[in-house]
Amino acid sequence: MRGHQLDIDGVHVRYGSSTAVDGVSLAVKPGEILALLGPSGCGKTTLLRTVAGFIRPNAGRVTVDGRPIDHLPPGKRGVGIVFQSYALFPHMSAAENVAYGLEARRLPKAEIIRKVEAALAAVRMETFGDRRPRNLSGGQQQRVALARALAIEPSILLLDEPFAALDRALRLDLQLEIKRIQRRFGVTAVLVTHDQDEAMSMADRMAVMRAGRVEQVAAPTEVYDRPATPFVAGFVGTTNALHGRVEERDGTGYRVRLDVGATVPVGSPRGFAVGDRVVLCARPEQLALRDAAVADPAAWPARLRLSLPLGPSVVHDLESGATEMKLHEARRGAPPAPGPVRVALAAGARPALFSAGEFA
Amino acid sequence: MSRLLAPGDRLPAILILALAALALLILIGPVVVVIVTSFTTSQALRFPPPGLTFRWYQELFDPVRSAQIHRAAGNSLLVAITVAAFSTGLATAAALGIARSGARWARAAEGTFLAPLVLPGIAYGLATLMFFSWLRLPPSFWLLVAGHAMIATPFALRTVGASAAGLDGSLLDASAALGASPWRTFHKVILPLITPGVAAGAFLAFISSLDNVPVSLFLGSASNDMLPIRLWGMMETSLDVRVAAASGVLVAVAFLLLLVMDRMVGLVRKMAG
Repeated sequence: MRGHQLDIDGVHVRYGSSTAVDGVSLAVKPGEILALLGPSGCGKTTLLRTVAGFIRPNAGRVTVDGRPIDHLPPGKRGVGIVFQSYALFPHMSAAENVAYGLEARRLPKAEIIRKVEAALAAVRMETFGDRRPRNLSGGQQQRVALARALAIEPSILLLDEPFAALDRALRLDLQLEIKRIQRRFGVTAVLVTHDQDEAMSMADRMAVMRAGRVEQVAAPTEVYDRPATPFVAGFVGTTNALHGRVEERDGTGYRVRLDVGATVPVGSPRGFAVGDRVVLCARPEQLALRDAAVADPAAWPARLRLSLPLGPSVVHDLESGATEMKLHEARRGAPPAPGPVRVALAAGARPALFSAGEFA
Repeated sequence: MSRLLAPGDRLPAILILALAALALLILIGPVVVVIVTSFTTSQALRFPPPGLTFRWYQELFDPVRSAQIHRAAGNSLLVAITVAAFSTGLATAAALGIARSGARWARAAEGTFLAPLVLPGIAYGLATLMFFSWLRLPPSFWLLVAGHAMIATPFALRTVGASAAGLDGSLLDASAALGASPWRTFHKVILPLITPGVAAGAFLAFISSLDNVPVSLFLGSASNDMLPIRLWGMMETSLDVRVAAASGVLVAVAFLLLLVMDRMVGLVRKMAG
């Protein structure tokens, strides 16, 4: 199996007066996993079902290797789907489930048997072929579902929240396994999820969606380090929103007077005018604790409420007036006692800067 | 009094048990009476019987003396089997359509299909007769089937509908995505999963047709004599004990059928659910 290119081009899906997918264009490269990440109701599942052929878009088109597939029914699109509920046929054994798509394609018996064995072996379920789904664990069922989807040798693999019904410990194992198999088969995959950790660990690139639109498409680390919108900053990872005003331009960036009582230099590719209200979005690890006794115009006073040691690192819960902050740093000895501290941007930190209007 | 009420939930429990026993008595009592009576040595339908004999069963199964009853039973069976097949097919199609659509019309359609359940049988029987004669259709086997199917379909719809509602939509999506045609999805996935409901529906439709009186009364004819009507006629003219024997056979047949079906598909569980 060789990777195929999937293009989603200007897709609109409307239900009555409400718009579920509002002009989404995405290019999924051969062999990559693209995650559609967003809160429930953001249109990610609708988009997936449009690619699968269950929903006909009101506008736009879907192509595989440049050929439109919009007119094709789901079974003729060459897509394999893994559902959140597994959707294994309960009255069939694991092997019969995997054989289902091959039988529907009227392949010769011998070939079906060979392909079913190969598919079950690929997900390490070859000894469970005779079991009914109810006699398999959740993780085993999902592996059979994956084998069933891959057995028909799809050009595109669609994963609809495939790990949501599994407990945490199992989830990581199966994520690794699916990624390994996807790599081996070289199949292009789209993963729908509302779990940012899952998107981070599984995807080569992620598309963060909100209200039917794509807010940012980039590699997971890029999305985390350089969120394109305040929504992305808040949805992917944790962010500290610090309001302030642009005091002056400073080379490639700005000097921002924060409401919490400090003036900090912030690099930003965006254009702001002096006096603009802005919001600085800093990750917990982009903040650092300073000595409360040392006066520093770039550090602001805060009160340390609580510290949670997490093995090698520690999370501090801080407040500065009405502004709450989380600060994540490497742990050095026992956590400090609650009390007054000063907080500054960590050395080299490049927090994101948005206009206050965007943030609302 | 306070001593009686003190144990808390003992009184309600006793009340419920007493009501259940009463209900059982009312349900089973008449059946027991008619079956015992069918073995009477007396010429009359009287309970308790003075002595027991198989005489009335011998007479009932005598091909010459009970030819009319046999013909009526044959008619009734043929109609009931046809109705069961027809109603179950109709109910399955309707139930799948309703289950797969969340639209308001689907709820309305379901209500309409179930409406015959609350229609007074006599009124409906008379209405069918007047309607068919207005259409200038003479009484026939197919008119009887149509009339019975109207009554029987809602029963089938209830059980098939319960099965269809429990069908996971993603199974159908999975089937379609794997390249199965709608027909393949139906007979490989849908049908096996709703079989308990379909079998229960067929059974209920069969029984409701077999013992239907009001429609048979109006749509039956000399050539389409139905068993319940024939038995009623015998009661009116002769108080023939063979009526009790025939009732015994019907009860036994229904019970055996129920046992077989239960073995096959867990029918009782489905009807309870």
